[in-house]
Amino acid sequence: MRGHIQIWFFSGILLLVYGVLITGTGLWELSHPLVNPPVLYELHAPIWWGAIMTVAGLFYTLRFRPR
Amino acid sequence: MSLAFVSAAVAFFQAPVKSLVHLGWIDITVIAIYFAMVIYIGIYLKGAANTSEEFFMAGREMTAWIAGLSFVSANLGSLELMGWAGSAYQYGILATHWYWIGAIPAMLFLGIVMMPFYYISKTHSVPGYLHLRYGDGARGLSAVCFAFMTVLMSGINMYSMALVMKVVLGWNLNFSIWVSSITVAIYVALGGLRSAIFNEILQFLLIWLGAMLIPIMGLIEAGGWTPLKAQIAARMGSMRYTHLWSTTAHFRDNPMGIHWTGLVFGLGIAISCGYWTTDFLVVQRVLSAHNLRAARMAPIIGSAFKMMVPFIVILPGLLALSVLPYHLVGQDVAVATGQHSYNEVLPLMLVRYCGPGLLGLGVTALIAGFMSGMAGNVSAFATVWTYDIYGAFMNKKASDSHYVAMGRWCTFVGVLFSVGTAYLVQHAASIMDYVQGLFSFFIAPLLGTVLLGMLWKRATKAGGFWGLFSGTCTAIGLFLWVHFNPAALRYVAFSPDAKAMAEDMYRAMWSCSACVLVTVVVSLMTQPRPLVELEGLVYGASKIPEEHDEHWYQKPIIWASAVAVVFVVLNIVFW
Repeated sequence: MRGHIQIWFFSGILLLVYGVLITGTGLWELSHPLVNPPVLYELHAPIWWGAIMTVAGLFYTLRFRPR
Repeated sequence: MSLAFVSAAVAFFQAPVKSLVHLGWIDITVIAIYFAMVIYIGIYLKGAANTSEEFFMAGREMTAWIAGLSFVSANLGSLELMGWAGSAYQYGILATHWYWIGAIPAMLFLGIVMMPFYYISKTHSVPGYLHLRYGDGARGLSAVCFAFMTVLMSGINMYSMALVMKVVLGWNLNFSIWVSSITVAIYVALGGLRSAIFNEILQFLLIWLGAMLIPIMGLIEAGGWTPLKAQIAARMGSMRYTHLWSTTAHFRDNPMGIHWTGLVFGLGIAISCGYWTTDFLVVQRVLSAHNLRAARMAPIIGSAFKMMVPFIVILPGLLALSVLPYHLVGQDVAVATGQHSYNEVLPLMLVRYCGPGLLGLGVTALIAGFMSGMAGNVSAFATVWTYDIYGAFMNKKASDSHYVAMGRWCTFVGVLFSVGTAYLVQHAASIMDYVQGLFSFFIAPLLGTVLLGMLWKRATKAGGFWGLFSGTCTAIGLFLWVHFNPAALRYVAFSPDAKAMAEDMYRAMWSCSACVLVTVVVSLMTQPRPLVELEGLVYGASKIPEEHDEHWYQKPIIWASAVAVVFVVLNIVFW
């Protein structure tokens, strides 16, 4: 493929950045609860969903990094 | 003068006052990162789109996974996401048929039977294949219909997304339309099909990440699938909303007003095969594969992912039937009364479960859905216009760089036409129904033409053209007949109880049948082409290159069989 950077690397970077941002938001909300929380707020979805994205993003970023 | 211009511009992009939810800085950051990334990819890939083969066909270098995911992603436009989630709320689990019987068999058929002919003919488009097989008549008719309908559909997708963003997020309609369409135009014009495909992969990933939390959280709230079915039955007063086939023995027994014969023959064969095997918007992605095996595997990989899409589209619609404390209504009623419409069900469920950060991710998923659909439309439009209309009939001897430049300009022109359509629909919403109907007019007959071309050596040039023409005329004629005389529905769809979707299916079935009949009759009355001219185009006259897989599990037929088995099991489980 002519592009040196694979699409999977771009995907990994995006996942990683989003994962860190969303996990960070979830952790921040532990000490600063929302005034109008969404349904099932007590499950803290941003923390575990963001963590899954961070791990997946890290894997794809490292696995497909340009060499 | 300049002050007046600024004031007018501000008013043009001013946000409506009322909205369901406001995005925080973290949500805006998530959306902004996405836009920056897709434009960067376009700029990065510009250097790899210098020749027409690179710009229009992505250099035919895509792997099976990339081509397969892009194949599904190009179809996941905003209408597909938000429209079918709304249909699930309106009609229940029956909407899943458009993802299963309305897609899976056709995708497997494309990979196993049809792809070798598309691929070894080295055609650059579906009208291009018709040119090789039937000559310029069938090619011209198909190319003009496709180019026209593609930009119209793209505009309708754009308007659907902008309308939902306006109601849910309070975004200005003009802002949504222009920002998203200019972004698509930039990255497709810069990097061509390769850029569109790369972004479609990214968008596919985002759609899943952003939308998957809705069914997960919804099932937790409802207590699981069995309690959900009971809650829907109690609320709707019927079990009909959670059965795929058992309510289709009669038109009156299900919310969609549909019969299983229409689902199997109309949707499963005419519409589904017509769309997934001949619509260049999706076929173009597979043609970019780097070898025949990848080209055959791409639709099979795509079908496996397509089979899972109901989890993020249909299930949220069903969950909304159970958990939303209010009822959604049709678009017309929503506009008149200020209630929420069916089409808003996906964003409404997103707002229900997602706080800051996740909300931004979900909104990005909806925007990504729209942009992948639009990029698919404009890249296919640019290819068909440049190769099959401009290059075939207007300027046959231009240089390669001239055609690439034409493709880049066409991308912008296609986007502008789409924006124009979006504004047209804004002022005449009923056009949306007609255009969607129109799209099916051309797709179902095209299936008959392409299939006979690939499988029957005796089909002739005249047979191909007149078959396609008469099939299209049949579809238009049946549409007008029912439009002006609704009682005619009992003849077209076999029952006066049939509803709009059932009519679409039977109309597709008749138009495809008419196309096949006329193609066969005219072909038998005209001179066949010599066998030597059909090499690489028709079954029985072509030598399919042998594929040497090291292991049995690498064979496309094995994977297609596995997908087929899961498809059958799912239909039985949700019978």
